[in-house]
Amino acid sequence: MFERFTVQAREVVRGAVAARERLGHRNVGTEHLLLALLDEERSSVAGLLHEAGVDAARVTEAIDRKVGRDTEEFGDRDAEALRSIGIDLAAVRSKLEESFGEGALESPPSQPSRRGFFGGWDFSGGRFSPRARKVLELALREAVQLRHREIGAEHILLGLLREGNGLAALVLTEAGLDLAELRRRTLRAFDQAA
Amino acid sequence: MSQATDLAAAAGSTDPRVGLRAVLALRRLLERLEVVQVDNARRQGWSWQEIADALEVSRQGVHKKHAGRASARTQGGA
Repeated sequence: MFERFTVQAREVVRGAVAARERLGHRNVGTEHLLLALLDEERSSVAGLLHEAGVDAARVTEAIDRKVGRDTEEFGDRDAEALRSIGIDLAAVRSKLEESFGEGALESPPSQPSRRGFFGGWDFSGGRFSPRARKVLELALREAVQLRHREIGAEHILLGLLREGNGLAALVLTEAGLDLAELRRRTLRAFDQAA
Repeated sequence: MSQATDLAAAAGSTDPRVGLRAVLALRRLLERLEVVQVDNARRQGWSWQEIADALEVSRQGVHKKHAGRASARTQGGA
């Protein structure tokens, strides 16, 4: 499936992975795809989104407000949360290190998911959330419907708008954007490019 | 200790954010614990079937989840 992505669409996907890393999130979600689409160096729809009044700083702020950052994969916030239900993470860790050596608890679990077209994608940069995978599947469907041979940044944006329920869509809606109007503008961008 | 008081309050909190965050942390702990113990079982020569029985899951499930990891492969194939 990935071979039908334009160079730019691949850049957007890589940008989403990078955004996930930057924010310290576990999975690549629709919000990270949106941040990548806003990156002018990667995406031809960045200008269109900026014109509509969306910018990366604002989106990042909205994401922070909604989900916060968790830069440590298994850090203080986890320890605190576990303490709230009576589990002493330090004690668990030291028991495990007694038996299995230092850092026994540190290995990040790998949970490959292979559902759907894009289920196997990993990019060694974290997995894609079900919604983000859905966005990429919808991008493909948009391209098929439009009889486009390749999937570009525009199709990813169309997929994002069609999915409609992810954090990205929520952020856009809360910023006062009309998703249907944004969709029309994106479709018009194709006509202008053609 | 004010921190202890805060935590005691958190334990009894009905705020979904606090409760759900604990669930997330517990899931992360569970995932890590499972990795540690499955790898250990493999190192000790347990078959995937034996591990699956102990975890009360399917052999296919446990194999799919863990067999790809280098440390779980050290004892050979499934």
